[in-house]
Amino acid sequence: MLRVIVLLNTVVLDLYRASSYAHPAAGVACVVVMVLWTGFAIWAYAAPARRTAWLLVADLGIAVALVLVSPAIKGDGIETTIPGFWVMGALLAWALHWRWVGGLVAAACLSAADLAVRTHLTQANYGNVFLLLVGGPVVGFMCASLQQMADERDVAERSAAAAVERARLARAVHDGVLQVLALVQRRGAELGGEPAELGRLAGEQEAALRTLIRRQDAVTGPAADGTAATDLVAALTRLEVTRPVSVAVPAEPVPLPAAVAAELVAVVEACLDNVARHVGPQAPAWVLLEALPGHLDLSVRDEGPGIPEGRLAEAEREGRLGVVESIRGRIADLGGTATLTTGSFGTEWELRVPRTVTAP
Amino acid sequence: MDEPVRVMVVDDHPMWRDAVERDLAASGFTVVAVAASGREALARFTATRPQVVVLDLQIPAPGGVEVTAEVIRQDPSARVLILSASGEQGDVLAAVKAGATGYLVKSASREELLSAVRRVAAGDTVFTPGLAGLVLGEFRRISGGGPEDRSDGDGIHRPELTERETEVLRMVAKGMSYKQIAERLVLSHRTVQNHVQNTLRKLQMHNRVELTRYAIEQGLDDDE
Repeated sequence: MLRVIVLLNTVVLDLYRASSYAHPAAGVACVVVMVLWTGFAIWAYAAPARRTAWLLVADLGIAVALVLVSPAIKGDGIETTIPGFWVMGALLAWALHWRWVGGLVAAACLSAADLAVRTHLTQANYGNVFLLLVGGPVVGFMCASLQQMADERDVAERSAAAAVERARLARAVHDGVLQVLALVQRRGAELGGEPAELGRLAGEQEAALRTLIRRQDAVTGPAADGTAATDLVAALTRLEVTRPVSVAVPAEPVPLPAAVAAELVAVVEACLDNVARHVGPQAPAWVLLEALPGHLDLSVRDEGPGIPEGRLAEAEREGRLGVVESIRGRIADLGGTATLTTGSFGTEWELRVPRTVTAP
Repeated sequence: MDEPVRVMVVDDHPMWRDAVERDLAASGFTVVAVAASGREALARFTATRPQVVVLDLQIPAPGGVEVTAEVIRQDPSARVLILSASGEQGDVLAAVKAGATGYLVKSASREELLSAVRRVAAGDTVFTPGLAGLVLGEFRRISGGGPEDRSDGDGIHRPELTERETEVLRMVAKGMSYKQIAERLVLSHRTVQNHVQNTLRKLQMHNRVELTRYAIEQGLDDDE
């Protein structure tokens, strides 16, 4: 398209000035050459297979030749060459094809030819040459950058698509495995005896795999204070693998500084150890995490007989309040509070820590 | 006293489908259809009109969440019980927002499954503590929000739980049964049940409002 526009411009200008030509017939021949070459070039450049070095060399060669023959046809002391701006086509082709080097070489060739036919150098001539020398490499450079960006984008898109596909496949496989493990667990428990043991093992594996999937899905950013973050949701959910505990959490990750998350999980584990010791190793327990805007609420509950009245006071008098005091102290170190409720309905720890907490 | 409950079982895993179907049939439910994909499920739902759909979330497209939404759209009196082996909590929450009223993990025992189907059919909600935790978290997210959506200036009513509803939902999330909650709060079993249902209803309504708002924003409500 550009070639056609610059061709029309040149043809019109040449026709306009035809009367001043020393050899009008040769001038017309030059114009015919430009028209034919433009048509050929548009066709030739259309297909990548035809964009050979020969085509580019011929393109530039014809442009240079037309510039060089200009004085012979128009007579000495010319203001403009016959092809004029038409040479732009060849220059841009070189810049597109061989980047800034091509742009520079083509610009240099055209400038040299242009200067060679001038009898005297005007400011306008100098300006044109300067523009050629600057424009050729710049277009070539931009072209290279665009190509590189397009390549990088393609690579990124391909790897993103591959990652999504991998995740999809993994999910399909995991889901199948989870289903079988859950089925084995269920049937095993119904059959009793050795199958029940198999079922129990399958159940453990199911919980482990489920936790793994959760952990993969939870993408954690940096914590509030910029240190490496741990997702408290994933960390608490992991407890379900090894303990008879049900963990209820929000759907979204709760990123915390790794040390804080580890300490909170450790406190919850201490509470659960206490349940195992006083209620029974297989006694069920429930953990609830609530993420509020300003603080986190954690609850650890069991349905044991509760701590008998007066027992805590008695223990305190005897100077042994080990676990309870340790839990309170550790939460206080995190800037929070720990409340213990106990009764015939069971025992419940309610832990509240500020969200902006940093490691003690 | 009443007709057997009509159930459809949707699961792409033949072993599971058969096991669940057998268990349900053995205890007096009528399994009117089984399906292995979302497409089959919707076609057979329209044809057989089951009262309860026992639905796995991970099925060939359309997925469990879409199937839930479509089933409830076609027949608001139908009940959807999610029975999922999937570790994806987000999907479970999405299914509940789309209208499911029950959720059970696949490793639950046969008795738990049968009881869940019975209760869902009777209009009750069946929650695991885990799901109650997710719903609770969702309300915290909606109402706490970020500072940017605090100024909800476009007149959309943001759902909020009453203090009592929050209290009940927290107790469910802490693993307490409705009976225990009723005793602890000195309420009737029915009242506790209603509170839990209300929390779900509010969440589902909010979901519909959000979807409608999204549709309007996207210009999808044009009938042309």
